Amino acid sequence: MELTPSEQDRLLIFTAAQLAQSRRDRGLKLNHPEAVALICHAVIEAARDGVTHAQALAIGQTAVRSDELLPGVASMLFGVAVEAVFDDGRRLVVVDFPDSDADVPGQVTRLQPTPAPESTEVVAVDVHNDSSVQISVTTHMHFFEVNPRLRFDREQAYGRHLHIPAGEHVDFPSGSTVTVNLVPITGERVIIGFAGLVDGPLDAPGAKEQAMAKAKALGYLDGGAS
Amino acid sequence: MTPEELREIDQDIAVHGARAGDFVRLGDTDLVVRVESDDRQIGNELQIGFGKNARDGMGMRSVRSDESCDVVITNVLVIDAIQGIRVTSIGIRNGRISAIGRSGNPDTMDDIDVIVGSGTVIIPGEGLIATAGGIDSHVHAMSPRVCDAALSSGVTTLIAQEFGPFWGVGVGSPWALQHGHNSFAAWPLNVGILGRAAGSTTAPLFEALEGGVCGFKIHEDTGAHPRTLDTTLTFADEHDIAIALHTDGLNEMMNVDDTIDVIAGRAVHAYHVEGCGGGHAPDVLRMAGHDNILASSTNPTLAYGVNAADEHIAMIISAHGMNPELPSDVEIARRRVRNATMAAENRLHDMGVIPVTSSDALGMGRADDTWRKTFAMASMFADSAILDGSVAADEVITSNERVLRHVAKITINPALVHGLAHEVGALKVGLLADIILWSYKSFASKPNMVIKGGIPAWGVVGDPGATVANAQPLIIGPQFGAFGVAPADLGVHFTNNASTTSVAGRRSVPVQNTRTIRGRDMLYHGVLGDVQVDPTGNTVTFNGEIVTSEPQSRSSLTRTYLL
Repeated sequence: MELTPSEQDRLLIFTAAQLAQSRRDRGLKLNHPEAVALICHAVIEAARDGVTHAQALAIGQTAVRSDELLPGVASMLFGVAVEAVFDDGRRLVVVDFPDSDADVPGQVTRLQPTPAPESTEVVAVDVHNDSSVQISVTTHMHFFEVNPRLRFDREQAYGRHLHIPAGEHVDFPSGSTVTVNLVPITGERVIIGFAGLVDGPLDAPGAKEQAMAKAKALGYLDGGAS
Repeated sequence: MTPEELREIDQDIAVHGARAGDFVRLGDTDLVVRVESDDRQIGNELQIGFGKNARDGMGMRSVRSDESCDVVITNVLVIDAIQGIRVTSIGIRNGRISAIGRSGNPDTMDDIDVIVGSGTVIIPGEGLIATAGGIDSHVHAMSPRVCDAALSSGVTTLIAQEFGPFWGVGVGSPWALQHGHNSFAAWPLNVGILGRAAGSTTAPLFEALEGGVCGFKIHEDTGAHPRTLDTTLTFADEHDIAIALHTDGLNEMMNVDDTIDVIAGRAVHAYHVEGCGGGHAPDVLRMAGHDNILASSTNPTLAYGVNAADEHIAMIISAHGMNPELPSDVEIARRRVRNATMAAENRLHDMGVIPVTSSDALGMGRADDTWRKTFAMASMFADSAILDGSVAADEVITSNERVLRHVAKITINPALVHGLAHEVGALKVGLLADIILWSYKSFASKPNMVIKGGIPAWGVVGDPGATVANAQPLIIGPQFGAFGVAPADLGVHFTNNASTTSVAGRRSVPVQNTRTIRGRDMLYHGVLGDVQVDPTGNTVTFNGEIVTSEPQSRSSLTRTYLL
């Protein structure tokens, strides 16, 4: 058979699925490994039958029913990933079990919403995208140094970043103007790297003026008063 | 709350995990903890990934590792007897925990404790729990696979008694010990081997000491006689090594009170103090509650179950070289099994009287079951937290203290008992970065990642030919820290100050402070008192009050998780 390590791994899924199936046939409720094995097995065999990726995913989602699961198992069947051999090659299928139940192992309960980031010293800046493509800017980018093709009051953005939850971003579609809120960069306020416009302490004497001059010389679009 | 607010909360938990004030249910148990604090600043949470902020000049400082750290585990829910239950980041340098607190770049973020540099390995801890690596202080290494089982359950330190497949209960020969140490260096584990204290003279103890043992085991199968006990404890006091004791279960030479008298206030680790695992019948449990006697349990009697008694007679006969055809063997095995002492043992754990849990792996316990059974036992006594909003957040009854008590039983307390706490046992700056990462849903049942000396050494791995690392079948097995010469370097050989033995590629570390350790020093424990077992073995009291618990027909962390 000349089986590869991945093919041998599929046999583990098959064996576990056969075991789970025999337990299901006896009327037992399925636990986490049993349910995962049956879902993966269903996807792999659907692919072998020649169905499409979308069809295999649908088959995986219905491979087990809520009433066949032990309490708590439904919530654990999130992001079940398996690679199956389709006619056009091996493909990754990620199955999220569609149902839930009230019993959730590891459940996190929050009784009040998390407060938003503190928002002193917010400035609003209108940003126009002169570029032919959409530009996206993330939270902790030094906004002053973003893509030169964004036109806005660069001086206002000096030493600031977007006032949005960490890890999120703002999209600037080509040709559009978007208003963003910016807040001061915290910590020691030292900006190293980025486009090299500052490369040092933000608040050093003359640092801002020097950065403004450098940005201008390099052709960064600026919608500010100057 | 509005549906919009509820959706925002779900999304925030999915991205950032639990935050301060949140309630987290541990696995499928009834244990709910409340997060005491969170070192993150809202809006400046460090995150790694596409479009995230752990990038050059933002959350990542352009400095070398010696000015930042080698590894950071970001924003993880720490459950640790010293740290408490809090969200924080853990920085690691040269295999040790170098900083704990808020992670990121101090150039752009306030109050950074863990500086993340351009080369820092970032292990995202959001949505995960971090504990110290488990310490199993009672292991019969009857098979090398016991090491795989231990690692797969979140254990990173073993106190072993032999390297089988023979019944050793301690190893004496320095020649044999050298080969044992050499073999254990193949696993990313800290290992200490107990010498066999079966002699009435010190010469055999000396040679084992020079052979690099970390302590001695006294066992009735090789002689737990008064002379052996006294000789060994006197020797231990001279050399700062821990003594593990399995007492005279036949009461052949002593009753339990005689054993306590011979110990005479000296520190000793009383193994499987309930007695199924062996020791004075029916009342070895009387040894719990003394300041100098550090008592532990082995895992088959924990989360006291309806089938516990029934499995034990066959287990005793099989483990101890007995014969089921021999009526006298069956009779003495039967005397070791008592429901009342098991029921009391579990309650004494919850009360803080018994400070340590262990496995007794391959010698009447399960190498990969101690985390699971310790927390299944904790769940037995937990009140269900009411989280439907009818009880104000600050008044919800949580299990924080109970959870910290139980995490102490498998981490810091066995480290203290065996003199390992200068290296392992807690998430503390300066200690080895032996860290277990668990998902909230599988806490204490199946670990997600076992970090040994700062390097992922064991954990969940998937289909090796897949496009992603998490494709089924997911199994728990070796990671890179378990290959090449890495395991020797990542693990420690626990030894003693008089050892003349070294292990190629592995650091040897003498145990410390084993003779002065007392019950009162046990974290979240230290409750002392008088345990009495009536001569029938049917009633146990603590300071005159009956202690017992109900046998469980269904144990937490078990059926949901195990194939």
